[in-house]
Amino acid sequence: MRTLKRNLLAVPILVWIGLLVGVPMIFVVVLSFLSRDNLGNIIYQFTLDNYRRVVDPIYLRVFWNSLLLALLTALITLVVGYPVAYITANLSPTRRALSLGLIMLPFWISSLLRTYGWMILLGNAGLINNVLMALKLIDKPLPMMYKFGTSLVGTAYMLMPFMIVAVFNSVDKLDRSLLEASYDLGASRWKTFFQITIPLTLPGIAGGFTLVFIPALGLYFVSDLLGGGNTVFLGNLIHTMATRGRNRPLAAAFSLGMIALALLVLSLYWKVSKDKTGEGLFQ
Amino acid sequence: MKMRKTVLLIVAVLILAVPAGVAANGEVNLMTWGGDFIPREVIEEFEKETGIRVNYKEVTSNEDMQSLLEANPDQYDLAVVTDYMVDILRQNGMLAVLDKSQMPNYANINPVYLGNYYDPTSEYSIPYAISISLLLVNHEEVEKLGADPITTYSDLWQEELRKKVVVVDWSVEIMGIVLKSLGYEYNETDPAKVAEAREKLFALKPNIVRFETNTPEDSLINGEAVAGFMYSNQAVKGNAADPKLQPVFPTEGMPIFIDSWVMSKEAPNKDGAYQFLDFIMRPETAARIADLTKFTTPNKGAEPLLPDYYRDNPMLNLADEVVENTSFYIGVERVLEEYEHIYVEFKLR
Amino acid sequence: MKEKTNRLGTFYLSLFFVILYLPVLSVILYSFNASSSTAQWTGWTLDWYRQLFSDRVIAQSFRVSIVVAVLTSLLSAVLGTFTAVVSQWVTARMKTAIQGMMILPLIVPEVALGVSLLFFFNALGLPFGTLTLVLSHSLFCVPYVYIMVRLRLQEIDKSIIESALDLGASTLQMVRTIILPLVAPSILTAALLCLAMSLDDVIISTYMSGPRSTTLPVHIFSMMRVGVTPKVNALCTLILMGTFFIIGLSQLVTKNRRFAK
Repeated sequence: MRTLKRNLLAVPILVWIGLLVGVPMIFVVVLSFLSRDNLGNIIYQFTLDNYRRVVDPIYLRVFWNSLLLALLTALITLVVGYPVAYITANLSPTRRALSLGLIMLPFWISSLLRTYGWMILLGNAGLINNVLMALKLIDKPLPMMYKFGTSLVGTAYMLMPFMIVAVFNSVDKLDRSLLEASYDLGASRWKTFFQITIPLTLPGIAGGFTLVFIPALGLYFVSDLLGGGNTVFLGNLIHTMATRGRNRPLAAAFSLGMIALALLVLSLYWKVSKDKTGEGLFQ
Repeated sequence: MKMRKTVLLIVAVLILAVPAGVAANGEVNLMTWGGDFIPREVIEEFEKETGIRVNYKEVTSNEDMQSLLEANPDQYDLAVVTDYMVDILRQNGMLAVLDKSQMPNYANINPVYLGNYYDPTSEYSIPYAISISLLLVNHEEVEKLGADPITTYSDLWQEELRKKVVVVDWSVEIMGIVLKSLGYEYNETDPAKVAEAREKLFALKPNIVRFETNTPEDSLINGEAVAGFMYSNQAVKGNAADPKLQPVFPTEGMPIFIDSWVMSKEAPNKDGAYQFLDFIMRPETAARIADLTKFTTPNKGAEPLLPDYYRDNPMLNLADEVVENTSFYIGVERVLEEYEHIYVEFKLR
Repeated sequence: MKEKTNRLGTFYLSLFFVILYLPVLSVILYSFNASSSTAQWTGWTLDWYRQLFSDRVIAQSFRVSIVVAVLTSLLSAVLGTFTAVVSQWVTARMKTAIQGMMILPLIVPEVALGVSLLFFFNALGLPFGTLTLVLSHSLFCVPYVYIMVRLRLQEIDKSIIESALDLGASTLQMVRTIILPLVAPSILTAALLCLAMSLDDVIISTYMSGPRSTTLPVHIFSMMRVGVTPKVNALCTLILMGTFFIIGLSQLVTKNRRFAK
């Protein structure tokens, strides 16, 4: 009886999200089985053609490309962001607030402008190359733009705060007495870090991974601008198909493919992190 | 408690801060690309003159406009869309037939730009801004690379131009370059010709440094590319930033785009919309718009009023033989899916 | 030993902030660029700031954006926290359902969500504007709050809650006195993230805004066809300066308060 009452509390939330996301999702699923006419209008005729397109070897490589980008982005944000979150959590309250503020602040600026900011920095005639050449460290510009790595740096930059905040929330509530105990038992700082701190903050890492990996799969203009459009990612492909490509049913099928890929990776990941800690983010 | 009050106060202030804005003589809702695609000063002048408020909904693509218009046809009066979208909206029955008698200044429109495939009877659309695609070339740098001078699309394939070419990022247009260089027409469907184009397209990959639709001219300005395939308004900007960047009108032919005004069938304020259209077709207004936006104006009446730089610029004041050598991307829908597939394969190489 | 690591930590943090702010600094720098293109530097100017102040559209879209962002983060903070707290008590199966639902808005590509919501809200007859913008933005913001708050809740000792309830505290009291203070930092950081995401959303906002309510990011992206002018850089510089000012002020106030004590 009591549990039933508690469950009732969750109903409004489920209805709310269910309506706002569930209805569009059903729409997308239905759409992915429909056809379109020459003008791009949807016609109500069942077809599996869209899915046949999705599993085309060329398009599967786009999935692979995006998966690679998203995984590497999550990895970079973790490696770079974890120490930031850890150090920040150990600061005095005022400095910690300041640090968190400084971490968030750049994200108030339009991501398009920040992407242009990276182009100003990394371009052949950009600031970094100019400085290096003025210092006579190099005699001709280092080509840094329009590579896979450039897209990666840009994507990681855009999604960094999500990792940091997630890890921060996990590190911040760490039971310090456990760390003290570890030191008392003679463990080194590094050993304590890897054997106590990291496992205890796995939920935070899992949360951060989720919040970075998913958007990294779908981001589109960052890789267009920094990668120079030299390769194709899912976000771009879906966006193009839904707009100029005049093929919303195909875009819907690709969207579902992307959702499936994300769920697959995330469930694998959550399973691993749950096995490690006994309680993952998503038991 | 105090916290709650503060939050309530913030919410109240924010809600009140949203302007209600009711204009004396009604309002006109228009929708198109943002920035100064329709210059603000022109809009403000219209508002001052007529007392009609103009709401300018900014969007990023033709397809966004289509979605918004089809979802809420009674919320928008006017939109500027590109030629092919006029065709789609017209065939979908979204557009109102324009009553020319309400717009005396319609007479200023150059008939050369009327009666095209997307609106054969010119009942549904009025040309607003014309652009073509062409090559912008830094001849000096091309020579330094040891390549032959660029005069045609075919010259872009030269080995010396490795990673030195920038192009707009759209399958139909890039396939268009290839087809034209092979002597075929845009949107070819013949499998043999498409297969030939596909092979030739793949050979272009090593030369392309960047695909960029919005600011390809930047790559020539900063020197990372020596030749670019782009829209004329972008080439104008590139040329203005660096006079060494010169236009090349490829002899094989060029695409043309006509961004046109259309009126929603359920436009809530048709009278205001006609007033606005008539206003922007005044020769002096059209000349100012052309000057500010760097698009070719279809307004014949505006031509004598154009500034000198504009009249002297072959990318803005298009010569007759250039216009004759242009064509629309007709029949995109027949090839889109296949071209997109080829294009993705091309990019992944 | 400890001193050394701290110094290393400070160094790492400083380095991180330098890299974090480099692109921001170039955005600021180019707000003073005489050329309207980021491809070249042609000298200093304050023209873009002058133009900014006479531009009613950019000011209006900024106002719309701020209103939507603040309302979105407030709504998301409430809903997200509520969901996270409730999910502590429900049955395991319900919990799974909630978690699935919370991941959903993040996974659906924005174009798909935007277009479908356009049709859905249209069918519901909702007026497009602030309301639809806030509703749709909170859709992808609530999950962030939920996840951040959950991260903190997981570690709360269940026995504290049980004993508080045994001592006769009502659920509401317990939430107010024990849970909320504990998760407050998470709510705050998540709300700040929501603010940033709402301020930066383009695709969904394009479909969700009405004829009169262009948001700032949509304004900026829609300029791409004719060129994004440094006016936008100027605006962002001012936003940044304003925020810095507020942060500095609040730091000063807290410091003074501490001294007063």
